[in-house]
Amino acid sequence: MKNILVRLAKRIFAGIIMVLVMASFTFFLVRMMPGNPVSAKYNELIMRGMTPVQAMDEVRVMYGFIPHQPLWQQYLHYIVQILHLNLGTSISYEGVPVLHIILDAAPWTIILVTTGLIASFIVGVLAGVIAAVKRSSPTGNAITLSGSIMHGIPQFVMGLFLAYVFTTLWAILPFGAPYNAALTPGFNGPFISSLVRHAILPVATYALSSYGGWLLTMKSSVITVLGDDFILASEVRGIKAKTRVRYIAHNAILPLFTIFALSIGFMFGGSLFIEDIFDYPGLGNLLLHAIDARDYPLMSGAFLLITVAVIVANIFADFLYSVVDPRIRR
Amino acid sequence: MGAEWPLNANTKAVGITIRDLEVVYSTGQGQVPAVNGVDLDIAGGQITGIIGESGSGKSTLAMAIMNAVPHPGRIVKGSVVVDGVGNMLTLDKESQRRARGRNLGFVFQAAQNSLNPLTRVGHQVLDLGRSHNVRDLRGLLRRAKELLHRMGMDADRVLTAYQHELSGGMRQRVGIMFALVLDAQVVILDEPTTALDMLSQASVLEIVRSIHEERNITTILITHDMGVVADLADRVVVMYGGELAEEGETAEVLAHPAHPYTKGLIRAIPRISGDLSQAVALSGSPPDLKTFMQSGCLFYDRCPERVAECQVKRPPYESAGPERKVACFRVMPHD
Amino acid sequence: MSLAATTEAPSKNSPGPAGHPSFLKNAWRIIAKKPGRLLGLAIIVLFTLMAIFGPYLYPRQLPINPNAIYAPISWHYPLGTDFEGTSNLALIITGARYVLFAAAMAAVFTVVFGTALGLISGYYLGWPDSVIMRVTDFILTIPGFPLLVVLSTIWNFGQPMAMGFVLGITGWGGLARAVRSQTLSLRERGFIEAARTLGLSPFHILFKEILPNVGSYIAMNLLLAVTGSIYAEVGLFFLGVVPFQVNNWGVMLNLAVFSAGAMSSTQALPYLLSPLLALLILTLGVVLFLDAVDEMFNPRLKEA
Repeated sequence: MKNILVRLAKRIFAGIIMVLVMASFTFFLVRMMPGNPVSAKYNELIMRGMTPVQAMDEVRVMYGFIPHQPLWQQYLHYIVQILHLNLGTSISYEGVPVLHIILDAAPWTIILVTTGLIASFIVGVLAGVIAAVKRSSPTGNAITLSGSIMHGIPQFVMGLFLAYVFTTLWAILPFGAPYNAALTPGFNGPFISSLVRHAILPVATYALSSYGGWLLTMKSSVITVLGDDFILASEVRGIKAKTRVRYIAHNAILPLFTIFALSIGFMFGGSLFIEDIFDYPGLGNLLLHAIDARDYPLMSGAFLLITVAVIVANIFADFLYSVVDPRIRR
Repeated sequence: MGAEWPLNANTKAVGITIRDLEVVYSTGQGQVPAVNGVDLDIAGGQITGIIGESGSGKSTLAMAIMNAVPHPGRIVKGSVVVDGVGNMLTLDKESQRRARGRNLGFVFQAAQNSLNPLTRVGHQVLDLGRSHNVRDLRGLLRRAKELLHRMGMDADRVLTAYQHELSGGMRQRVGIMFALVLDAQVVILDEPTTALDMLSQASVLEIVRSIHEERNITTILITHDMGVVADLADRVVVMYGGELAEEGETAEVLAHPAHPYTKGLIRAIPRISGDLSQAVALSGSPPDLKTFMQSGCLFYDRCPERVAECQVKRPPYESAGPERKVACFRVMPHD
Repeated sequence: MSLAATTEAPSKNSPGPAGHPSFLKNAWRIIAKKPGRLLGLAIIVLFTLMAIFGPYLYPRQLPINPNAIYAPISWHYPLGTDFEGTSNLALIITGARYVLFAAAMAAVFTVVFGTALGLISGYYLGWPDSVIMRVTDFILTIPGFPLLVVLSTIWNFGQPMAMGFVLGITGWGGLARAVRSQTLSLRERGFIEAARTLGLSPFHILFKEILPNVGSYIAMNLLLAVTGSIYAEVGLFFLGVVPFQVNNWGVMLNLAVFSAGAMSSTQALPYLLSPLLALLILTLGVVLFLDAVDEMFNPRLKEA
């Protein structure tokens, strides 16, 4: 038990370092913008009649650091702000703290991504097992091919395709927005059903574009395990088929955990497209909006949160793996 | 111990009768007869050693007795009748499954990982019991502990361990425990001492001998090590190229080997005392696909005693005395 | 003479004494085995030709026809037209060059960075290894697209070379890891030790001994890197974060969805579907061909 906690602590520590590195990255990024927007803003405020001190304060609140100070001081100030979870205020949403905006947007992304991930995992793993067991038959080959093709189609293509087919060609599902704007949010039937209906396509896009990966990996994993000595040994010892299937499944699923970690990053990255296409107010859409509006604090904040989400998910996956695989535990 | 133990009240020794067994492997180069026309009687209650080089078909023969030949091999014809069970090759699937483990125990080579790496050893014993409808699972675990203890291991530690926490020698002994824990009357050991150091080898052989004495288990030892056979086996069967070359009582065969291959095997063993150069290695190499295609004796190319007739037909496996068989034209001349 | 080649058991796939001829012949044999693979190869060749020669088939400025805006599919306009009346087919064919060229560049950068870093990491070990692996892990953790769109704010990488460079810089992680682990396994098998004992220079060892053995990983990765890059760049243009200079498929998608409202009406449908179709067919081609590449380099999959 202690071992696991130590590992977890190490991972969390590494994660924090990574987040700080990312934050530093965005810090320097903003300073590398053409036209140095921070100084530009400062000058603009001065021209509007603010005193230098006022202007500096304003810019500091907005961007999280103070212009005209030595770089290292700015950097230090910035990092301290980050550690206090102060990510500055948005430019496009005048005066609203970035933290609030991104925390508002986060749930949408997380819900869609998580649902899509679970759906793709279940379908992909089951299909992968079938594809492995029936690998020389036409059924098995067809399943494998479907997985390969789906795996190769990029997310936004899938999204556009699904959107087109189910909202324009056959208008059976609504398009755009997380729910019908005319409804009042709350725990009522119509709202929830609208929520679900609107979520079907985005989740389906996530699921369809990633189930192929699960399928192919699970198939190859099952085939490898089937060739393992202990499977033959269990057959020779007369172990019941049900038990053997359990042995195979357990051993075959293990390597999928590494894929899980990569999938998370992939999903969050893809949220940019899916939220763009389906007009969901999630982090991806927020990032795009921020870039469009040149709202650098918001952009940094959104990017940071996306990265944090991926890091947390990776730590979780790693932790889960070390708990499940006894070879790593000790 | 509850009333369920011992699982097999039958103390009569179980013999195996193999007739006309043929096992074929599909390879890229064609079909290789790994076991070809084998007729063999394994006497109940005895230790029979099956000896041969790698590729002689001895392991395949062992797997065939269990009807568990792995892909790409398959049993083409023949019968394997186990006393009290039936013909393993024609029984229904469920009866076959039940016989495996319960009536026929199999011990894999130490090099193989015969345990599920993700489950503790004790749980796997319970899985084994449940698969064979053992009602007294606690009793089963007690038996497992007893067996492990007899083999010199800390039973509690081993049962709660995962495979990767055990050394090669320990895994081998755990494998033996799995083969014996259900009171099987036939135990087949595939290369029980290869991949083990000398001390472990000695202790494993000792365990095999004592268990055999105690329960009168029909034991089949598959090995390439003449020393193991000399040490333990009552009877020895020599295999070459998938076919039987010679068989008989161990002492007799070692003292008066009939088949040139057997002679070569014995000659190749260096004596502990004496000049190393007196050990003569067998010339030539084991059979390959081309050799299997030839119509004459498979050993022809390497045989120092061959004559013209040996190239034309395969020598039949026939009786050369009481409890003795050989397949060689020089020993059993045909006119 | 390569140490690795002499100590490995000869297999059907290892190059003959002359080097290349038997490899190509073998490759062709594998490809010709299944019709799907031939189809895949044909598709890839088709698109490559499109990329190379396409723009030469049309005048520099594609003709616009105000009378045929969003024209339906016909003999004259096999894929319909866009908002200016330009033939979609012409747009696809001329757009292929940017797409494939940038992807090829990206693949080149990915392979160069990934292989170099992986080799250095696996060969020298010690602190170069630690540093490189930390950086690689870092790069692999950052979600790719968000990083790319953020980078787009400081640098306009619309030029194919620049696009390729950026994609390469962000995408070498996986290959570096794979090359490193293969180098480590070669090390464990004694190749490096043996070569050093023979007094071979590090340069020779890296390029003559190790590199050929990681060739299979690189080949697989190359193909995947090309397709991944195609999607990445098309995606970036679709999102509208990279200003477009030259027409390409991503631009078409962007305009179709956001300017032409292809989602809500059937009018601009051909304009939307043309690039989608092109992408899908190319994907199909690569997937089918990948089957052959897999067998070429993965002997374990060869059927008995």
